[in-house]
Amino acid sequence: MRPFERFNSQAVFAVGLILFATVYASQIPKLGIPFARSGEPGASFFPIVLVVILYVAAFRVLSAELRRTVDAQTDAPLPSETVPRIGLVGPLVLIVLTVLFIVALPTLGYFVAAAVYTFGVAAFFNYEETGRPWRAIGQSVLTAAAITVFGWLFFDVFFGLSLPGWDL
Amino acid sequence: MGELFGGFATLFTPWPFLYLLGGFLMGLVFGAIPGLTATLAIALLLPFTFGMEVTHALIMVMGIYMAGIYAGSITGITVNIPGAPSGAITSIDGHALMKQGHGAQALSLDAFASSVGGMIGAIVLMLLAEPISDLALLLQTPDKFGLVLMAVVTVTIVARGSLWRAIIATTLGLMISTIGIDPMVPQGRFDFGSYYLIEGIGLLPAVIGLFAVCELLAQGSLPARAALGQIVGKMPRLRNRDFIPDFKTIREIGAFTYIKSSIIGVLIGMLPGGGASMASFISYAEAKRASKRPEEFGNGSHEGLAASESANNAMCGGAIIPLLTLGIPGDAVTAIIFGVLLLHGLVPGPGLLDAHAATIAPMFAALFVASLLVMVSVLLFGPLYMRVARINRGILYAFIALVSMVGVYASSFSSFQMWMALAIGAFAFGLRRFGYPIVPMLMGVILGPYLEEFLRRSLIVSQGDPLVFITSPGSAVFLAMTLVFIWLLRIRPAMAKSGR
Repeated sequence: MRPFERFNSQAVFAVGLILFATVYASQIPKLGIPFARSGEPGASFFPIVLVVILYVAAFRVLSAELRRTVDAQTDAPLPSETVPRIGLVGPLVLIVLTVLFIVALPTLGYFVAAAVYTFGVAAFFNYEETGRPWRAIGQSVLTAAAITVFGWLFFDVFFGLSLPGWDL
Repeated sequence: MGELFGGFATLFTPWPFLYLLGGFLMGLVFGAIPGLTATLAIALLLPFTFGMEVTHALIMVMGIYMAGIYAGSITGITVNIPGAPSGAITSIDGHALMKQGHGAQALSLDAFASSVGGMIGAIVLMLLAEPISDLALLLQTPDKFGLVLMAVVTVTIVARGSLWRAIIATTLGLMISTIGIDPMVPQGRFDFGSYYLIEGIGLLPAVIGLFAVCELLAQGSLPARAALGQIVGKMPRLRNRDFIPDFKTIREIGAFTYIKSSIIGVLIGMLPGGGASMASFISYAEAKRASKRPEEFGNGSHEGLAASESANNAMCGGAIIPLLTLGIPGDAVTAIIFGVLLLHGLVPGPGLLDAHAATIAPMFAALFVASLLVMVSVLLFGPLYMRVARINRGILYAFIALVSMVGVYASSFSSFQMWMALAIGAFAFGLRRFGYPIVPMLMGVILGPYLEEFLRRSLIVSQGDPLVFITSPGSAVFLAMTLVFIWLLRIRPAMAKSGR
């Protein structure tokens, strides 16, 4: 087996963790020396310990993954009858919808942002389950309306946590 | 004792009791639906607690906790898909009884055992909380470090799967906890020049990200038939009276089984990393070992059902003891309850009960009354339980998505917190997808500041001498216990597996 074939998704993730540890470690020099002359630990002491632990553990996982054969991998997602490659597409759709909601909430206000967001999430799950787009849209319109009103009643009216209005 | 009666008196006024009922119903729904858990329910409640009195919030949380742990077994019994991991052992015998046509009886025995276990756990909590709290006041800084280290290590080693992945998850949580102002000197750390990060990452976006957003993404990656199973089979039509427990069967199971299993549950609840799944598994194994009819276990044993279910609800009371008295959350649910207390300015640990007895006492009462409500709930909603796993996923996850995000926003009116919750959730989903446990990460986030502060304070007092952790008696005991747990929970099973 060639070295690159051994780089399964688990190994790539472990490399990502090592990169994360490196980015974290890059900030440590700004925190000063780990111990004062009197032996007292400083702000960088605990982060240094954490970085060392993360490096050791991540390299241990990486080396174990590189020793594993491709046949032993079990990270293939379960197939859906309606959404192709659901293991990747599903989370991506939900992340995009959430990003749009975060952008829309302060600009378009609660009602528009919440209605679109809940409609999108409900439509995804309903379509995946039934495979019938028009039925999924119909159900999701009702779901979005009900949850948006419920959210406003709960947060704004009942608990007094005011939400952005429709500022357009 | 006076405060305890006061707690019951407070609970039985209209608003607190309504909060308990609301929390209980929320826990039932979240516990029963596969993929949702009591942890998620309490995480979603967290933003709402800003608008509540702390006593109401704690009462509601207790309702969710008790009902959520109980309800994990409902769909385990009816369709063999436990709503939560805590219901997995109960579903072995519960579903076997269901297939034999005794589903209603299994559900009523399950609720009875949960009620008994829950009540015993709550009574032990009421009896032990004060003495342990008084003892905890004697702990010195190195002892506190030993205690927090024991909690962090134990939660890491009991996590399922690879130990190295659990270590990584805990370390990542600890790293997140170091972002922001240093706990000892006024110096920003790991803020990357962003003024948003100087205050650190809030508990709310961390909890919502780790549990709600991560769960949303995980469910989005699963086809419905894999998430809920083939729940389309015909359920028998049952009436409420079919759910009255058969007292002849309860006598056959015997009071000793209920009490022994409940005590096992309480003790495991008190251990960091214990949790409901471990409580039900160990007490099930013990009941099988002691049973006169061990061959029935796995084929619809009433004893097995009672043992596992008493233990996992008794665990609730046990888990609250170290949280309130020592400031050590033992699992994800108590870690989030820790957050609820912190958000309201109450610091769990020594001194909490003395200073805030009137606030905490209704919480104890709520746990006791919630365990009684478990039995009432099966009599009222038993026929509905047969259908609870069929709730529409579109409604469910649209609701969770909106409440999570708006909840994070409403807590600080900052979009940055929503970005943070999404980033942590996406990262946690990646970890989960690749087999890294999430609970140790949360424990790292919550206990990290304490671990670092106690470590550094101890070393400052000892002028950098690490032997202080061995010469201080409390610390030495906790470190020895940590080594014992590592031996019992990791090294010995590994040696047994390899046949040495």
